[in-house]
Amino acid sequence: MVSRVLVPMEDSEMSDRALEYALEVYPNAEITVLHVVGEPSQMWGYATGLALADDLEQAAAEHAKPIFDRAREIVADADGDAELETHIELGNPARAIINRANDYETVVIGTHSGSVADLVFVGNVAEKVVRSAPVPVVVVR
Amino acid sequence: MTEVLLIVGILVAIFVGFNIGGSTTGPAFGPAVGANVITKLMAAGLMSIFFFLGAITIGPQVVETLGRELVQDPSIFTMQSNVAVLFFIGGALFIGNYAGVPASTSMTAVGAIAALGLATGELDWAVMGEIVVWWIVAPIIGFWVAGVVGRYFYPRINAWIAIEGNGGGREMITIDYSGFVPRFRFGENATRREITGAFAVVGIGCLMAFSSGTSNIANAIAPIYGTGDVDMVPLILIGCAAVAVGCFTIARRTLDTLGNDITNLPLTAAIVVAVVASAIVISLSIIGIPASFVVVATMSIIGLGWGRATRTTTLSGVRAGEETRVSVGALTAEEEGEQSPEIGEEEPEDIPKASDLFDPSTTARVILMQNVVPAISTVGAYLTFRFVPIFGF
Repeated sequence: MVSRVLVPMEDSEMSDRALEYALEVYPNAEITVLHVVGEPSQMWGYATGLALADDLEQAAAEHAKPIFDRAREIVADADGDAELETHIELGNPARAIINRANDYETVVIGTHSGSVADLVFVGNVAEKVVRSAPVPVVVVR
Repeated sequence: MTEVLLIVGILVAIFVGFNIGGSTTGPAFGPAVGANVITKLMAAGLMSIFFFLGAITIGPQVVETLGRELVQDPSIFTMQSNVAVLFFIGGALFIGNYAGVPASTSMTAVGAIAALGLATGELDWAVMGEIVVWWIVAPIIGFWVAGVVGRYFYPRINAWIAIEGNGGGREMITIDYSGFVPRFRFGENATRREITGAFAVVGIGCLMAFSSGTSNIANAIAPIYGTGDVDMVPLILIGCAAVAVGCFTIARRTLDTLGNDITNLPLTAAIVVAVVASAIVISLSIIGIPASFVVVATMSIIGLGWGRATRTTTLSGVRAGEETRVSVGALTAEEEGEQSPEIGEEEPEDIPKASDLFDPSTTARVILMQNVVPAISTVGAYLTFRFVPIFGF
């Protein structure tokens, strides 16, 4: 019985599906949605913008809010009574997810994100997580 | 036959210019457009004007380097080879613009021309070496200068500039054509300080447009200048017209992709980066070196954020749970002798650290990936000139 599930999410359809899948397959599990902010971007504007913010934690929370709101919507739609926790990490998405995964029994992640630029600058996060995560990983497509 | 090829060559040069307009408007005017200070249309207009000013004043230095010095024998710039060189420059830039992957137009152009030189054995390695050394040194200078600013001076500059983006409604600066003489119109309730700030953001856009003109005009016209068939000034005019077309068309897309990333920066940061990067690019253009604007700007952005993130005081401020709007900055906080938290009082590693945002291998990947577009152009041009036998080499 899997009781602690980590669902890394970003603004993409694939991660929506990952959460939907996790809710369906692990209805009684405690699900944590993880969002990584300040990931690499074309000219590094995103990360530096955060680093220059007056209050890093608050700025990170603002960036993550739409993602978490979306996640709560999905939970509400699924009529699940799953408890949803949220967590924010900074920097390199794959590394942050892998570090965090230790505390969970399973990671459920979407295959890839949308844009070419993401693929070029961030790389395929799901692939790296599959390769290096310390726990089983479910890749949703 | 030659005339037809010359016309085709100029058409391809126009295609290159068009893409240069697209790729430079984003970084230059992204902050101004993103903060709703001016419209995209006005950004395109200013970009065209200041690009031209840079191109006509300092631009010829770089055109000489690329068109006459990078290859030992400019006669390899036949019209056939020019069309191919420009095709690879324009094509690679177009892919980059379309996919939202920024690329240094200078690296792309030098790569294609050097590939022609290499395939024909006419590449001047001394000139090439000098250019490449600057490509390595200039971004490092940008990184350190911006890093020092970020670490020691940023809060002070920030307090001094104090601009907030304009949330919505009309742009901060618009032009009122209703009167006899067109004049500026400012957003409602704009204070004097906000207006100054708005002008500063537009001003740095113009500065970056100028610096881009000094360095990038060569990328579109140098091969054709190398043939000696057309003079410098008409070529610059044609090139700038093409850039202007790019500013008004494909730049709408790059303002949304690249411009959007730069918009993540606070306006003060955008100003710092623009000043540092433009100063480096203009200086290099004066000595005839085509600079890698995008890489220099990116390294400056990384430097600024890294310098700011590696100060230790922000964290202690956060940990102490006090008011964390560090507007006047950590320096003052440090001078006031703020106590560092007692051992054991520090919170566990869970607290997000700004320095986590600057992981060396991740930043290296971004810089590396910015070389993808130049690499496409270089490799494509080399293979073409080496193995496709229609160029007569």
